[in-house]
Amino acid sequence: MMTASTGSLADRTLRLLRRPVLRRLAQAFFVAFLLMVFAFLLIRLIPGDPAMILLGDQATEEDVIAYRKLLGIDGSIPSQFGRYVSNMARGDFGVSIRSREPVLSIVQKRLPVSLWLTVTTIFMTVLLALPLGVAAALYRRTWFGHAFQIGASVLVATPVFFSGLVLILLFAVQINLAPIAGYHAGFPANLYYLWLPALTINFVLAPVLARILQSSIVETSSEEFVEAAIIRGTQGWRFYWRYLLRPSLAPTIAALGYFAATVVSYAVIIEIIFNLPGIGMTLVDAVRNRDYPLVQGIVFLSGLLVVGLTFMADLVNGWLDPRAKIR
Amino acid sequence: MTPGTAAVSPVGRLRQVELRRRWRQLNAESRWGLVILAFILMLSVFVPLLSSNDAYEFVDLPLQPPSAALPFGSDHLGRDLLVRVFAAARLDIALAILGVSVPIVIGTFIGTLAGTTRNPIAETVWDGLVNALTAFPEIILVLGIVAMVGADIRGLLIAIWISRWAQYARIARAKSLALRDAEFVQAAQVLGYSQLRILIRHIMPNVFSEALAYALSDFIFIIVIIGGLSFLGLGVTPPTPEWGAMLAEGRLYLRTEPWLILFPGFFLSLTASGVALLARGLERISRGEDD
Repeated sequence: MMTASTGSLADRTLRLLRRPVLRRLAQAFFVAFLLMVFAFLLIRLIPGDPAMILLGDQATEEDVIAYRKLLGIDGSIPSQFGRYVSNMARGDFGVSIRSREPVLSIVQKRLPVSLWLTVTTIFMTVLLALPLGVAAALYRRTWFGHAFQIGASVLVATPVFFSGLVLILLFAVQINLAPIAGYHAGFPANLYYLWLPALTINFVLAPVLARILQSSIVETSSEEFVEAAIIRGTQGWRFYWRYLLRPSLAPTIAALGYFAATVVSYAVIIEIIFNLPGIGMTLVDAVRNRDYPLVQGIVFLSGLLVVGLTFMADLVNGWLDPRAKIR
Repeated sequence: MTPGTAAVSPVGRLRQVELRRRWRQLNAESRWGLVILAFILMLSVFVPLLSSNDAYEFVDLPLQPPSAALPFGSDHLGRDLLVRVFAAARLDIALAILGVSVPIVIGTFIGTLAGTTRNPIAETVWDGLVNALTAFPEIILVLGIVAMVGADIRGLLIAIWISRWAQYARIARAKSLALRDAEFVQAAQVLGYSQLRILIRHIMPNVFSEALAYALSDFIFIIVIIGGLSFLGLGVTPPTPEWGAMLAEGRLYLRTEPWLILFPGFFLSLTASGVALLARGLERISRGEDD
């Protein structure tokens, strides 16, 4: 790689960009940069003066000036952006207007809840989707296969804010297997609060993953080595695992990575329904309260999390499936 | 099938035969999807028309259970839930169609433009920008724009329009890259048509069919986003009948009056499921899979 550095810098950079991993990394950085700009523009593009909107008509001149300073919208736009970037680099994301608490410490406090939700959800997705996908592939010509196809379409289209309420109705109101809402930190205990939200998200995720698994098993089963195994008389678990399931797992595992990023997005609405004090609930509250610095900080940080998770999924995907490296 | 004026005239007869032939080509999934959608569209047109109750009017005591007079019961303010559910169907479907149609036109146009240009700089800028936009976390983008523009119908639509066009642009670019050297395009160039005319009249129609297929699955996403943001109080707000907003109101009575969420939620899910079944069925037909 280094020996080929005969061309200009641009040529070399371009050649580097063609290398898939680096290209993806460059892309991830570019998206992160766009996120930063988007978060920066968030306050600045509001029609009218945010300080005036927040303070109302009776505000004195000094109050408005002080507020603009708090929001970081005093001075010229380039100098604002410079300050914004250098503050971020130092981990300073501003102060919440409501609580006057630093945005970063709010995020640090709320993020673990969302991460626990993500982990629980993904774990549950695997538990549900593996048997479902295998069964749907093996019995795809029977009533079960058809019911799976239709059921999956219906479940995927059902919004989580409806299925979540129905699940609360069933499991928290009718039979007392889950709390109606709320959260307590601490590992095994918090699962009591997390299993129902995780199940709700899995009404969407598990069928999608099962479908991916099903179609890749169907694809694998038409390969020649499967036929050869059948002719050789391979039977039982050995056949299912070595010749059907294992060669079909790559797309499923890759999809799990992207799902982790998706859960962060779902968390926004799930946390409101189940009253989980995570990052999504904080974001929605901040949007409602027009707490612009908090919105800005969460948009950037949680966006960064999603971009990072997607990038890692890309890496795993490329590592598992050489075909995905080119594209 | 129905005897009417259309069936008498030869043209109408021909159209009927054509329709029946199309119907027979469909698979079970897409048929179910069509039946569900026709059912909901009919109800959403006729229920508010035929009912004597208004969606905003108080007609009974609050929180009455479903009965013969009020088939879906009454909500927390004593309004007819049946009328409200189908008034909401009109609004939600209209908003979702509005939400899909603007990005499809803008995205297809931009994508076709990018696909037919031979300017290398434009192509590089394009690659970075659209790939980045499609990698951008969706909900965060939408919530951020709503925070900026305002938590109402206008903000909701603007957020959807801004966040959804890139996918169409991507599809359109891929398709028009293949089309820009096609013989019919060269023929149009030889005839001396302007670049814009070739773009709009010759390339875009061919790109559109592919974009429409994607639009079906996009419709599901958008109708769920509209309901979701309204559920959070950041979109359509009460008293306007909207499924997500109605779920948010009914949620407070979950323990005692569950029908307040069951009816609006069921019809929202049914609509989305109908579109999902149709999309899935059509996708399987185009891939050549049989039933």
